[in-house]
Amino acid sequence: MNSYEMPLVLFTVFSQSAIGLVVLSALRQVGGPDTDLRSIRTEWLAAGFVLLAGLTASVFHLGHPSGMVRALTNLGRAWLSREALTTTIFLAMVAAGLVLMRKKNNLWFSLATAAVGLLVLIAMGMTYSPVSFPAVNNALPFVFFSLTALLLGSSAGLMFVPESSRPMLTRVLTGSLIVALVIYLLVPCIWLSGGTIMKQTAGLWLASPLYWTRIVIGLVLPLALVKLLKGTQAWLWAVILIGELLGRAVFFADTVHTAVNMGGLY
Amino acid sequence: MSQWEKTEIEKALDCPMTRRRFMKWLTAAGVVSAMPCSFLIPRDAQAAGIVYEGGYKTFRNACPRNCYDTCSIVTYVKDGVAKFVEGAKESTFTRGGLCVKGNSYIRRLYSPDRIKYPMVQQGRGTGNWKRVSWDDALTRISEKFFEMNEKDGSMLGLAMTKYSGNFGITNYGVEGLMSSLGYTTRLVGTPCWPAGIDAQNYDMGNMWCNDPEDMVDARYVILWGVNPAWCSVHTMKYIYEARQRGAKILCIDPVLTQTAAKADEYWQLNTGEDGALALGMARHILDKGLVDQDWVAENSIGFKEFADYLKQEVTLEWASEKSGIPARRIARVAEEFATADPATIWIGYGMQRHVNGGASVRSIDALVAMTGNVGKIGGGARYGHLQTWGFNYHAMIQQPPQGAKGYLGKAAKGEFDFTKKSEGPAYTNRTLNINKTAREILDATDPPVRALWVSCKNPMNQDFDRNLLEKAFKKLELVVVVDQFFNPTVEQADIVLPVTTLFEEWTVNAGYWHYWLSLNEQAVKPLHEAKSNIEIAAALSKKMNELTPGSCTFPTNIDTKDWMAKEFNKGVYDLFGINSWKELKNGPQKAKTNLLAWGDGKFGTPSGKYEFKSDLCAEHGFNALPKYVAGRKPYDKLRLLTPHTKFGLHSQFINLDWMEEFNPRPYVYIHPETARARNIAEGDRVRVKNKTGEVTITASLTDNVPADAILMYEAWFKNTPYNCQNLVDDTSADMGGYKAGAPGVAIHDQFADLVKA
Amino acid sequence: MKKQLGFLVDSDRCIGCFTCAMACKNQYHQENGVVWREVYPLKEEIYPHKERAFYSLACNHCENPACLNVCPVEAYFKREEDGVVVHEQDKCIGCGNCIRSCPYGAPRFNPVLKKAEKCSLCHQRLDAGLKPMCVLSCPVEAIQVIELSTLDTTGLVHYAPGFPKQPSLNPSVRFRLPKLPEVVRRKNHE
Repeated sequence: MNSYEMPLVLFTVFSQSAIGLVVLSALRQVGGPDTDLRSIRTEWLAAGFVLLAGLTASVFHLGHPSGMVRALTNLGRAWLSREALTTTIFLAMVAAGLVLMRKKNNLWFSLATAAVGLLVLIAMGMTYSPVSFPAVNNALPFVFFSLTALLLGSSAGLMFVPESSRPMLTRVLTGSLIVALVIYLLVPCIWLSGGTIMKQTAGLWLASPLYWTRIVIGLVLPLALVKLLKGTQAWLWAVILIGELLGRAVFFADTVHTAVNMGGLY
Repeated sequence: MSQWEKTEIEKALDCPMTRRRFMKWLTAAGVVSAMPCSFLIPRDAQAAGIVYEGGYKTFRNACPRNCYDTCSIVTYVKDGVAKFVEGAKESTFTRGGLCVKGNSYIRRLYSPDRIKYPMVQQGRGTGNWKRVSWDDALTRISEKFFEMNEKDGSMLGLAMTKYSGNFGITNYGVEGLMSSLGYTTRLVGTPCWPAGIDAQNYDMGNMWCNDPEDMVDARYVILWGVNPAWCSVHTMKYIYEARQRGAKILCIDPVLTQTAAKADEYWQLNTGEDGALALGMARHILDKGLVDQDWVAENSIGFKEFADYLKQEVTLEWASEKSGIPARRIARVAEEFATADPATIWIGYGMQRHVNGGASVRSIDALVAMTGNVGKIGGGARYGHLQTWGFNYHAMIQQPPQGAKGYLGKAAKGEFDFTKKSEGPAYTNRTLNINKTAREILDATDPPVRALWVSCKNPMNQDFDRNLLEKAFKKLELVVVVDQFFNPTVEQADIVLPVTTLFEEWTVNAGYWHYWLSLNEQAVKPLHEAKSNIEIAAALSKKMNELTPGSCTFPTNIDTKDWMAKEFNKGVYDLFGINSWKELKNGPQKAKTNLLAWGDGKFGTPSGKYEFKSDLCAEHGFNALPKYVAGRKPYDKLRLLTPHTKFGLHSQFINLDWMEEFNPRPYVYIHPETARARNIAEGDRVRVKNKTGEVTITASLTDNVPADAILMYEAWFKNTPYNCQNLVDDTSADMGGYKAGAPGVAIHDQFADLVKA
Repeated sequence: MKKQLGFLVDSDRCIGCFTCAMACKNQYHQENGVVWREVYPLKEEIYPHKERAFYSLACNHCENPACLNVCPVEAYFKREEDGVVVHEQDKCIGCGNCIRSCPYGAPRFNPVLKKAEKCSLCHQRLDAGLKPMCVLSCPVEAIQVIELSTLDTTGLVHYAPGFPKQPSLNPSVRFRLPKLPEVVRRKNHE
């Protein structure tokens, strides 16, 4: 088991929530001109704060936070630099958007910001899938992160949006919960037939109380609640957030590194 | 690198605004290097790090531990601080590198755990230590000595236990100190190699092995009960080279050691049946007419009697049954050994730590001799030698004070005691068997042992029957321990005196395996208030004479460098082909002669020949011939082996945090079948118990150990009370009393059982 | 092919004595818990005698290093003249990305400086005409510096069993595999 990497858990979950909020906000603006400006601004404001909170958490991860700005240096090779750059641009665009859309929404700017958000997700996905973690040296981190964005973006968004947008967000939420459930249950099972490190990762995930707690309260419970209740409540978002945080902790703590098996068959 | 290292380096790189400094400034400004234009600034390749040009003073040192390799060391010092060590390149044996222990020396020197000043413990074992001045400590010791002398009319109540903790020659000043106080009690003998020493003395008249560097010319090498891959890493390269030139390497050992894994063939014989195996081979060689009749006729006596014994009482089948090795294998190897030219056997010290150890060594010697391999380059029955130890022992030889009274009786001599019996009174020291320290202290009367002086030894961790030793310590009125760390012996001391490491004293070192001589310079000033053994002796003498003039003859004003120089004599200079010890500052020197044992066929035995039949051996109560002697009958279910680990040298090094990095805890090694029968799984805590005591320890399952034995390494770990001596009794080996002062110990003839804890 | 230095790990000669691991500590005095050169025992599934065969491994100075590729502040560079991968600790911000990304676990976190650090192939020693400390200290020459563009690879293996195979990184290390002795077990017990 590695460390839980709490700063990275918070950074990734929060920044992905922000991206989700903005992406879904942009998408629902495509729907029609009767979008409520106030709710859009609230979404963007929330996204901004959450992103800032995440960025603050990430600084605690660094041995030398004062060197943070230099993290943009290796754009030529390092996905982490690209993640830093795209996140910075995304934050700037969220702030700009708030200024820009004081009087009226701006669909193109929203879509552009959403696109940058997508780039952030791609950069993050690449950053957290190095060859040293065979189980996730693939598109899975991008998938996990995108699901976080959709789950939290939709469930949080449901707190701000007008009635007209609720069905769309509810469909997104339901769909994401189902996809997430399938992916998170299936993937460890597939790992079981992989190489030594993949198998060990599967073993740790499937034996982790955090993993199962997350499945139940972070995915199954919300899915049931969405089906059973009329409309969604704010605390649904809170439950999903807890689930995402737990799931991200499992991602960092229980994904096995190749170096643990040096001297053994891979 | 560590923080203090970085600071040191920064101070050393004291230069004006260099490119590197400029880059640093730029980087600190942060923003600039984040800009694309940073790609245009070429990189400065000089990262903060070790600068080698002209920064270091080098010193010559030598590892004074009880080890075959006795490495020649080069110590790199900057601004009075030792930074790192290397092996001396000038020694073909050391060849530039040390071992895992030698490479931890810098940490040992500067360890935060080192005892810094004299301390007094209020209640042994309580940990209630109080710092005192040297003056105070030496006064307390002096007063106790005066009290004892008053009471007993002699200093026989003072006992010294010392052995191989530090083989720097000037450290025999501890013995010198004792002599200068009067006639005292000496724990004499050696737990290490005495049975084999005597065996080789009966057979050949001395323990004398070839230069190990000539092993490259061997065409057959049997590594018998020796584990050089762990205990003599520098010799491995010669074994590898021999193999490359066509030699076969056979390893015989009850345990599948690291050396066994590197051999061509490995025999896991029944423990303690080495004699039978050797005799079986001898019988087959005799039958096949492969005896070197010419050599035997010219250089030995008693072969006919030996041959008769073999014909009457030894068969291949019997040897096979005893040793567990298939007869056809014994036959094949015997033929290979006898026809290889030259062939050699390296007899390990572990091999003779049995009740029949000496007898086994004699059988193996016979094997080498009857095939004409004694006195050949690349051949020989290799065990050890003391050819290069012909120093003056100036530190050791001191006179008793006027009017001192002592023991009237025979005194034993240890194997490193090269002093000659001087003319004078019939008084001697009282000698006790070091291998039965506990028992001897408890039994000694008239006078009893009142005070114990411990230096270069860690009896509480290393002596046998630990429980009995604790009882013995209770009898002592004063325990003074000279040491570097708060080890188990220091924990039971009244007074501890901090001693120097090799880097902080002047001395000279030889080895008992290779033929190199190394100077040991004082590389750094003694840390804290540490003193070397002779400085302690001088200081004690000064204090005693202050209080009672004439009570101690040890010189009070000594120059330690001078005392190192005083150890040299013409014999040493001639042997090494040098004119002055100062030449050793340029590097260690190798002996120019005496490298081929028994090359001239002039043996040191009474007959002047190799004695297959030794009347002297019979006189001493053993067989004249190297006959088979049965091993010890088991007194419990499983045999207990307690050999040496690569990570430490006896109780030294394992306590260092650098060593804990690679060797964090002790284990008991159990065969999987043995473990399964007791419901023990890998990593379980187990209790190992026998009649002598018990040990709780973690289990490691492996078939490197035979199913009828368990194994743990002797060691001192800082943070656990682990001590394998809880389980080892003080039963003697057969030989050792002749040349080493006392019989050895049957360390590997111990038995125990274990349960899940 | 450009000049590329690396290590020969001769597991046949290697006796697992840990001299190399401690030689590195002797030179650089790493903080407790920070080890640049490890001596990994081969598990019994690869070498059937427990803790009797080893791979001594530090940094593999890869052709396409993960550490260099993922470092956001370009604290790593690869020397033109010999391919040694150097970490400039001054630039490091302690993000831990290299530590996570190297499949060989070469970079380690220094908890006092809060920065990464790793084996430097003793490049300062190389530049001064000296051997790396581990290479100098090995009593059986089981660890050697090799130059890949001119190396005779007869009998050597690139990806030994028990060593992660990462052709995309192309570690500059070659192995000689350990041999097995012929083992004769006792046929009876005491």
